[in-house]
Amino acid sequence: MKFSFEWLKELVKFKESSEKLAELLTLYLAETKVSFRGTRAILDIDLLPNRVADVSGHFGLAREISAILNKGFNYPQPEFKEEKETAKSWITITIKSPYCRRYVARTIWHVKVKSSPQWLKERLEDCGLKPINNIVDAANYAMLLTGQPLHVFDFQKIAFNKKKKKEIIIRQAKKGEQITTLERKPYQLKENNLLICDTKQPLALAGIKGGLAAELDKDTQLIIIESANFDGANIHLTSKELGLKTDASWRFEHHLDPDLTAYAVDILAQIIQQVAGGEILKGKIDVINYSSHKIVIPINFTSWGKFLGWSISREEIIKKLRLLGFSVIERKKYLLVKPPLYRNDIERDEDVIGEVARLQGFDQIPSLSPKEEVIFPVKNELWEFKEKIKDWLRVYRLEEVYNYSLISQKDKEILAKDWQSKLIALANPISDLFCYLRPTLLLNFLKNINDNFRFTDKIKFFEIGEIYHWATKEKEETVFGGILAKKEKILKQPLFYEAKGIIEGIITDLGIDKDDYSIKSIEKTEYFSILEKGMALYVKNQLLGVVGIPKKNFLKKYDVEGEVAFWEIKILPLMALEQAEREYEPLPQYPAAIRDVSFIIKKDILIDKILKTIQESASYLEDVDLFDIYEGENLPFGKQSLSFHLIFRSSEKTLKAEEIDKEMKKIYKALQQLGALIR
Amino acid sequence: MELDQIKAEAEKRVSQIISQKDLENWRVKYLGRKSELSLFFDSLKNLPFQLRKTQGNKANQVRQFLFSLYQQKKQNLEKKQSDFESFDLTRPGEKIKKGHLHPLTLVLREIIHSFEKIGFEVVEGPEIETDYYNFDALRIPENHPARDMWDTFWIKSKVLPAQVGKSQKSKLLLRTHTSPMQIRYMEKHQPPFRIIIPGKCFRFEATDVHHEFQFHQVEGLMVGENISLANFKFIIREVIEDIFKHQVELRFRPSYFPFVTPGLEVDIKIKSKSNDEWLEIMGAGMVHPQLFKNIGYEANQWQGFAFGLGVERIAMIKYGIVDIRLFFGSDIRFLGQF
Repeated sequence: MKFSFEWLKELVKFKESSEKLAELLTLYLAETKVSFRGTRAILDIDLLPNRVADVSGHFGLAREISAILNKGFNYPQPEFKEEKETAKSWITITIKSPYCRRYVARTIWHVKVKSSPQWLKERLEDCGLKPINNIVDAANYAMLLTGQPLHVFDFQKIAFNKKKKKEIIIRQAKKGEQITTLERKPYQLKENNLLICDTKQPLALAGIKGGLAAELDKDTQLIIIESANFDGANIHLTSKELGLKTDASWRFEHHLDPDLTAYAVDILAQIIQQVAGGEILKGKIDVINYSSHKIVIPINFTSWGKFLGWSISREEIIKKLRLLGFSVIERKKYLLVKPPLYRNDIERDEDVIGEVARLQGFDQIPSLSPKEEVIFPVKNELWEFKEKIKDWLRVYRLEEVYNYSLISQKDKEILAKDWQSKLIALANPISDLFCYLRPTLLLNFLKNINDNFRFTDKIKFFEIGEIYHWATKEKEETVFGGILAKKEKILKQPLFYEAKGIIEGIITDLGIDKDDYSIKSIEKTEYFSILEKGMALYVKNQLLGVVGIPKKNFLKKYDVEGEVAFWEIKILPLMALEQAEREYEPLPQYPAAIRDVSFIIKKDILIDKILKTIQESASYLEDVDLFDIYEGENLPFGKQSLSFHLIFRSSEKTLKAEEIDKEMKKIYKALQQLGALIR
Repeated sequence: MELDQIKAEAEKRVSQIISQKDLENWRVKYLGRKSELSLFFDSLKNLPFQLRKTQGNKANQVRQFLFSLYQQKKQNLEKKQSDFESFDLTRPGEKIKKGHLHPLTLVLREIIHSFEKIGFEVVEGPEIETDYYNFDALRIPENHPARDMWDTFWIKSKVLPAQVGKSQKSKLLLRTHTSPMQIRYMEKHQPPFRIIIPGKCFRFEATDVHHEFQFHQVEGLMVGENISLANFKFIIREVIEDIFKHQVELRFRPSYFPFVTPGLEVDIKIKSKSNDEWLEIMGAGMVHPQLFKNIGYEANQWQGFAFGLGVERIAMIKYGIVDIRLFFGSDIRFLGQF
């Protein structure tokens, strides 16, 4: 919000430069920047929401600056001449809604509408307002001074009531009622919208915008000036509903002090008389529709030190509070503190204590080590588990990414019905590009591939994060996912086995036993509609995650050419499987003997079956390790050549060559029965 | 040529050789099939037996001598070669491929590590929140301008007919800050405690160099019988200085958040950058007593502070990143740098 530095200087008479003042305001009130209009300095203050009500006028800010500079500040008293004729004899005010808390009006006759004097125009422009004519400008000027929005009606355009008085009625809109505002725009109203009306029609949208009906024009001579207070929440709602946000509505939303109305209307009368002449009728019409809640807060002297952590002297406390406009009554052990009415943000001890600390300077006050007992923090197992997985995946040479949690309308379209139906949608997306919460990490990963194939031929990415869906009560689930992609396409799908190897590696690192989970095809999982083929890991009957190859139409949609493998594993069930305590295995006492076997066999015999066959056929077998798979030109169609390391060991003796030969023969025989041709 | 002459010449020549190629030429010349020595052997068969024997012996000795010269020279040359050619210190080392953690992970770890040193515990909360926890419980009522400080993504409700009445009560949204977890945690724990809550947050905001609709915060909450504003300053100063290895200046100034009183903002300035601006990194304050009351804690017994630290902001300052969008762009040229 813009404030004129010169204007403030007139009001407070300080010596500080604009830069110095901006620095002080930043440290004691709110972030402030200096700019210039010509040679005139403008302070742009990012007012905090709780201080708009009392600092949004130059008077309020001057009072705050005075407090910061350790000075007092007195509001100037309005001075003007009144006529003998009373305003009361001409106008009457009726408040019909609780949303209007106070309404004050004055009448001025025989004003002359014209262009404003230069000084007035400059002040408005410095504060970001456009000059219109002397009357409207005076109202804006008075608002800039006091913070109270003010409005001027053309007296003659307001209807007489039956008693031959101009009656102003503050009421809520009737169903279907409409108002045309000053910029000639019609608005359809609801029953909660507050209006300023005469007996015939609405004159203004209360607290937001004047209406066309009683608009000033160049011939206007008789005017009514109003200064009112409305309920902030009501104004906020109406402004939101109508999409009409104005300087006035913004101020009212922040709950202005109802007592400001009477003062502001007098300030305005004085300025109008100054710039437009005219005769001010005697007295103001002032209707009060609220009971002011004056609060008194008792605060023990011991509370200050306890809350702030350092002690402040009584004198210092009282002095600072008075500078801020609080009234203070001193008792033996406590203070009775009465906050000024314009500080509706001060409700309790902590608020008052905080104000004193603020005026001492948050940057100046002491910083002290807590005198607390040592509490040993509990380990967050889940957090540490995720961090551990990240470290391991890095060792597997993967790059960690943080993708967006949102996906696009187009992303949705590629998903099958069952996935679409559990998608969580945003009610107010920023654009079609980000309108649903991701149900899987896959879609954004596929975008990553395309983006990065410009710079590299192979991609290995992982992410640990949330996926979202309506399927569970929590609606979100932490997963760790990864994508491997290579530009060149090889039929054997080695990336799938690389991905599988990574998952198996992690599972082994976690000390999870092979019997604790099972592997099935993905066909029966929901992932079957996004993956071409792959494996599903289950714990009992619960899906732990999948490793697989995305469907071709997905790759096509994201312009991915080449080979891709993907996985997505749920973190919580994986963590539940982790073996916390791992036991050491004694080192073997006798040497191992390693033999190799190679054979040609039909491809449709699963490796798992072959491994079992080998293991069950011989004794002393410690490990069987597949080290080469070959399928190619020299082999008959549908066959492949497999090579295994066979590791023999006994825990009781060193095995002799003849003993191993005997076992090898058993293995050959078993393999031959499977249809293997030993090479 | 006499044998002695061959021997002397070969010996002289070999001492001048500096390359393998010259040595090979030398070998061909003195020991090859067409060498003078070889010709000499060939000529022996025409000599009488006795002479043949003595000359033969002598020639053999010469050949052995030359061969040993050759061997020796060869070894010398190889040794020299490995000293000067194969061991080049300036040759680049083999490139070892490795993976990388995301800069936000690295920065989060540093932040958490610093807080853990002084006994803070890590707690996490849901990203999909209710308006109760995100706003109302934090004293941010509807139709209050304070709520405008948090531009919100609302979730399109998926209401089953039976739930119509209920769902009106709490609307779902993407949390705009990590603060709702303050309430969730306090509902289940009694003070004293000190926790930090790292997590992803969302704001309804158009994306540009400085703004992202998705970002990370680390919330903090420390409550005890006597946790004061001075303690807040101490702990934040220590931790921020630790995170930035004491290369940083801090500034505390007033701010406003409905769930604290008084509210503060913390700015930092990097010492090494002389004319740098103050950068906002944290909103904070003393926990509003109304929160304790709503939780059901005993009145006037507990006090403490809360704060919210911007993680991207810290990472940008630490690494000199100027465009916030890089964090979520998953560009391998960016990721590979950390």
